[in-house]
Amino acid sequence: NVDKNKLVEYFRAQIREDPDVASAVAAIRSLLEFLKRDQSETILGLRENQTKAIQRLEETDSSVAVSSGGELFLRFISLTSLEHPDLSQCKNVMIERGELFLKKISLSRGKVGKLCHTFIKDGAKILTHSSSRVVLKVLENAAADNKRFTVYVTESQPDSAGKLMAQKLHNLNIPVTVVLDAAVGYIMEKVDLVIVGAEGVVESGGVINKIGTYQMAVCSKAHNKPFYVVAESFKFVRLYPLNQQDVPDRFKYKADILKTVKDLNQEHPMIDYTPPSLITLLFTDLGVLTPSAVSDELIKLYL
Amino acid sequence: MPGADKETDLSERIESFLSELKRCGSGAGSLRGSAETARETTALLRRITAQARWGNAGELMEIIRKEGRRMTAAQPSETTVGNMIRRVLKIIREEYARSRGSSEETDQQESLHKLLTSGGSSEDNFRQHFTHLKANVIEAINELLTELEGTTDNISMQALEHIHSNEVIMTIGRSRTVEAFLKDAARKRKFHVIVAECAPFCQGHEMATSLCKEDIETTVIPDAAIFAVMSRVNKVIIGTQTVLANGGLRAVNGTHTLALAAKHHSTPLIVCAPMFKLSPQLVILLYKNYFFVLILSKVNAHCPVFDYVPPELITLFISNIGGNAPSYIYRLMSELYHPEDHEL
Repeated sequence: NVDKNKLVEYFRAQIREDPDVASAVAAIRSLLEFLKRDQSETILGLRENQTKAIQRLEETDSSVAVSSGGELFLRFISLTSLEHPDLSQCKNVMIERGELFLKKISLSRGKVGKLCHTFIKDGAKILTHSSSRVVLKVLENAAADNKRFTVYVTESQPDSAGKLMAQKLHNLNIPVTVVLDAAVGYIMEKVDLVIVGAEGVVESGGVINKIGTYQMAVCSKAHNKPFYVVAESFKFVRLYPLNQQDVPDRFKYKADILKTVKDLNQEHPMIDYTPPSLITLLFTDLGVLTPSAVSDELIKLYL
Repeated sequence: MPGADKETDLSERIESFLSELKRCGSGAGSLRGSAETARETTALLRRITAQARWGNAGELMEIIRKEGRRMTAAQPSETTVGNMIRRVLKIIREEYARSRGSSEETDQQESLHKLLTSGGSSEDNFRQHFTHLKANVIEAINELLTELEGTTDNISMQALEHIHSNEVIMTIGRSRTVEAFLKDAARKRKFHVIVAECAPFCQGHEMATSLCKEDIETTVIPDAAIFAVMSRVNKVIIGTQTVLANGGLRAVNGTHTLALAAKHHSTPLIVCAPMFKLSPQLVILLYKNYFFVLILSKVNAHCPVFDYVPPELITLFISNIGGNAPSYIYRLMSELYHPEDHEL
C-alpha cells in the first residue's frame, strides 16, 4: 500500500512538472516506474500488482484517458510475457520496450498536429470546445505555416476550461473569441469547420469528450459543417456505448465526487459521448481515419 | 555504349510521356481514358525497373519516386498516374520482404499493436541486394498490367446482379466503365436509361448514341431536369474520375447535384470505379480545374471541371474486386498502398 501511495505521488508529480503531458502518458510512465520496482516472483504476481496499481490510479484521476492508458499497458505486459515466459528476461524486455513505447507516444501529439493542419485553409473560422492540448498543437502548427484563421472557443462550464484555451491561443497570436456554451447553435453558421480533442475514442469510432461536445456535433451536422476529432492512438478504449447512459459512471464524474457523493443523479456529468455518425474524420498518429477504421485498429491490438 | 543508349532511350520515353500528360490537361492533345493512362504509366514504370541502373530496392524506389513526382507535377488532376506509382512502390516493398523471407507483409501498417511489440527500430531501409529482385518485381508489374486490362470486363460481369428488367437507370456524362456495364446488362435484360447531358461539353450525347447502338432505350435530359426526373428513376449508376480515401468522389461536374437528388428520393447511387482510381488523398484542391467560356466580350463564365461528392450520398462502389460500401474504402486503400507512400 505504501508503494501505491508512492505511485500516486509519482503520477501527480509528473503532471505537476509538465502540465502539457497527456494524462495517459503520465499514467503509463508511472506504471513503468512501478514495474521497475516491483518485487514479484512470478508473471502472474506482476500482472496482479499492475492491475491493482491501475485501479489505484483510476481512483486518483477518473478520466477515460488514464483507463485506456492503463489497459494498454496491461496488454503490453501480456503480449511481452507471451513471448518470454521467464520472469527476469521478461522484465528486462518489458522495461526496454516500455521506454521505447513511451518515447514513441510522446511524439504522437506532434504527428497528429502535422497531419491535421493541412486541413485548415487560409481564412478559415474554426470552432473548438473546451481546452485540448492536441487541438492547441494543431492550431500552433497551422499558425507556424503562416495560415490566417480565427478561432471560436466555447467557455465550457463548469470549469471554464475554454477561457484557459483562449489565453493559450492569445499567447500564440491567434485571433480568438470565447462564446457561451449555449451559443454554439448561434455561432455555427459563421464557422467553416469544427475541431475537438477527445478523452477517449471508443470502438464504434465515436468519442468521449468534455460535456457539450455531443451538442456541438449535432449542431455541425445540422449545418453541414465538417466535424474533426484529433486524438492520439493511446486513447483508443474498449468501450462500445450505444447511448449516453451506456458510458460507465466512473468516467462521467470526477474521482473525488465518486467517492463522497451518495446520489449521483444530482451531480452533473463531466463528459458525453458523440456517436460516429456525427464525426467526419479522426486525426490520429496512426493516420487519418474514418470512424469505421477505428474498430479495425482496436481489433488488431486486442484480439 | 549500350548502357548509355538504354538510359537516353529511357529518359526520352519519360519526357515524351510527361509532355503528353501536360498536353492532355490543356485540352490540346487527344482525350485519353484513365485506363489508358494507368496502363501507360505502369508500362513506363516497368521499363524504368528494367532499364534504369539500381543496386538495391531502396535505390529503385528513390528513382521511381523521383520520376513519380515529376509525372504528378505535369498533370496534377490525373490521379491515376500517382496511384500506379504507389502500387508499384508497394509491389517493390512486398517483393523485397519476400526475398528477405520476413513475414512483414501482414504488418506493414502503423498500428497500436506494432507500437507495443516492436523492440527497437526495425526499419530496414531496403539496402540489401537480391539478384532475383528485378525479375520478381517485373513479374509482379506484369500481373498488375494484366489486372488493369481486365478491370472493365470484371466490372461489367457484375452488371446482371444489379440491373433488373424494366428498370429506369440514370447516369451522367460519359463513362466508359458505365457504358460497358450497361451494355453487358442489355444483352439479357430490357431496361431504360436516362442520360443527363452534362453541359457544357455535353458528353452525355455521345453516351446516348453509343447506348442506342446496342438497342438500349435512351433518353437525354438537360442537367436542370435531373431533380424533376429523379422520382421516376430506380437506380443511379455513375462513373468517377477519382475515389478519395474517405469514400468520397471527385467526379465530373453535376455529379453532386445528381447525388443530392438521389438522396432526396432515396434512390440508390452506384459508382462503377476500377481499383486504380482509388487515391489515398483526402484533400483535393477542386478550384484549380476550371475552364473559361467567353460569352460576349465582357462576360467570363467559370466552369469547374470536377465536383466533390461526400461519402454519405453513395450507396455502393462496384469495382473489379466486387461491391463495397463507402465506409470500407479505407480498408481497400490499406491493401493497395503503403502509408509511407501516400506522400510521394
